[in-house]
Amino acid sequence: MTAGTDLALATRDLRKSYGKRVALAGLDLSVPSGVVYGFLGPNGAGKTTTMRLLTGLLHPDSGSIQLLGSPFARGDRRRLFRVGALIESPSFYPYLNGRQNLRELAATGAPVARNRVEELLELVGLRDRAKDKVSGYSLGMKQRLGIAGALLSDPQLLLLDEPANGLDPAGIVAMRETLRHLATIGKTVFVSSHLLAEIQVMADVVGIIAAGRLVREGTMQELLSSQQVVRVRLPLADADAALGVLTAIAPTTAAPDVDGKTTWLSVRTESHRAAEVNRVLAGAGLYASGIESGSDLEMLFLELTGGEPMPGSEGTFQGIGAGG
Amino acid sequence: MRIFVSGLRKLVGRPASFVTLGLLAGLLALIIIATATVATRDSSTAAQARALVLVQFPGAYDLILEFILGLGGLFAVIYGAAIAGSEWGWGTLKNAVARGESRTRYLLLSFGAVAVMVAVGLVIAFVVGIIAAIIGANIAGVPTTGLTDAATLNRMPAQFVRGWFAVVEEASLGFAIATLARSQLAGIGAGIAFYFGETFARLFLPDIVKYLPFAVAQASLNTGASGSVGGGPGGGGAGITSLPADTALVLVAVWLIGSLLVAVVFTERAEITG
Repeated sequence: MTAGTDLALATRDLRKSYGKRVALAGLDLSVPSGVVYGFLGPNGAGKTTTMRLLTGLLHPDSGSIQLLGSPFARGDRRRLFRVGALIESPSFYPYLNGRQNLRELAATGAPVARNRVEELLELVGLRDRAKDKVSGYSLGMKQRLGIAGALLSDPQLLLLDEPANGLDPAGIVAMRETLRHLATIGKTVFVSSHLLAEIQVMADVVGIIAAGRLVREGTMQELLSSQQVVRVRLPLADADAALGVLTAIAPTTAAPDVDGKTTWLSVRTESHRAAEVNRVLAGAGLYASGIESGSDLEMLFLELTGGEPMPGSEGTFQGIGAGG
Repeated sequence: MRIFVSGLRKLVGRPASFVTLGLLAGLLALIIIATATVATRDSSTAAQARALVLVQFPGAYDLILEFILGLGGLFAVIYGAAIAGSEWGWGTLKNAVARGESRTRYLLLSFGAVAVMVAVGLVIAFVVGIIAAIIGANIAGVPTTGLTDAATLNRMPAQFVRGWFAVVEEASLGFAIATLARSQLAGIGAGIAFYFGETFARLFLPDIVKYLPFAVAQASLNTGASGSVGGGPGGGGAGITSLPADTALVLVAVWLIGSLLVAVVFTERAEITG
């Protein structure tokens, strides 16, 4: 992010350790106002610790936080009146019903408009179950109620930790539309998730964290354009020959064979060159059993966080040829 | 104020409130009626007279209050621990803090609601006890003429307020212990252990135990008025030294404030990870 951009949230050199274990090792986040910001990282990278620091649940060892344009430190709890949060799993009184839980939550923090609870129950699709005790709710219903809780004070900044957890496909779509809508009306939505495909379709800006540090931040468009790839699936016996042929077009890597018979080769080139890749292979007497092309957040994520890419494992690609 | 009212609403709907009150009132009624029933069949006149004390007014008022404040102290520790511990265990304190709520205010107002519920619970249990004593008196054929004894009824409200204050102090202990433990179960377990530990310790360390929370709670009720209550853990039982009631009352306040202070300081400094 460029300096001077209107930032809803920023951290500078944020550090946090639990005993000898370093959770955050100097995190620098810059979250512009009015966007959906996808906060990605592998397990243990420091996502939830970041969320807790941003909501005052934890205190940083050093570094600074700016929330909605003002510094946020101990004693600045009122800054959170304009922030809504869902941290880790949603937490409620199990013996109260959904409506009562929202009403009691509304008694804390910033004052809440009288009809706000009913509006939110409607928004998250829980009005019909509002009289049921939360102990009887499914994980997805609790998650919806948690999102409603985060929206209680009509916050300017929304912090959501894995909000799609437990939601069914319809629930995920509805949540995505709600969050996109909030961004269009000027709210800032900060979402941590391990669902890369979900972030890819929802976020405007992405930050990737690994080992407590931000390893990449930028608009989704920037990140994906740097990460275009064509993948081809070939018999294992043809892999070496294909690697030689395709490297002439663009840098190519081979993934470990999955089934012992075939393997995936990844050609780092624009996705519209898939047909050309196929033609070159055919010209060399090598025939692909599957071709995919696209911009892959997953591959970027795995590269940056030290994981191994698994071609074909997640649906962020467009299949072109007959799948193997 | 919003948090206090919300705290009351949460406690009214909470099973722990009903279970605690039900146990206290139920045990009291059961003991009184069972005692009265058995007393009518007792062949020993002396034993019969001892048993019937429970249903003879106005003395029954003091005995019922003593029972409630004695057993109520243990229940209060458990109740206080359950309320404070669940805020950590269920993650609801996390919700409040993340909404910008003051940790201290949330804690103190939540405890304020507990104190009000304790008062309501004691009143209900007392009324149940009186009704049970009237029923017991009828079963045993004992007249209830002392029911309207003016001297006893005049002194009862002050005695009741002192008792309530003592039970609230005991609840604050459970509240603080569960806050330190960040757990309902650990808080309840430690609270019960503390209660019985103090009872046991008074056999060996009476001069120290008389300053401890349960002992001062009981001692604060020994006002010297006719039939004044006491005699629970570390209290005015036979042969056990206890502090003067007014001194004990001051120490009750010290323990109450100290417990809440510990809970507040711990919560303010705590890193909420659950």
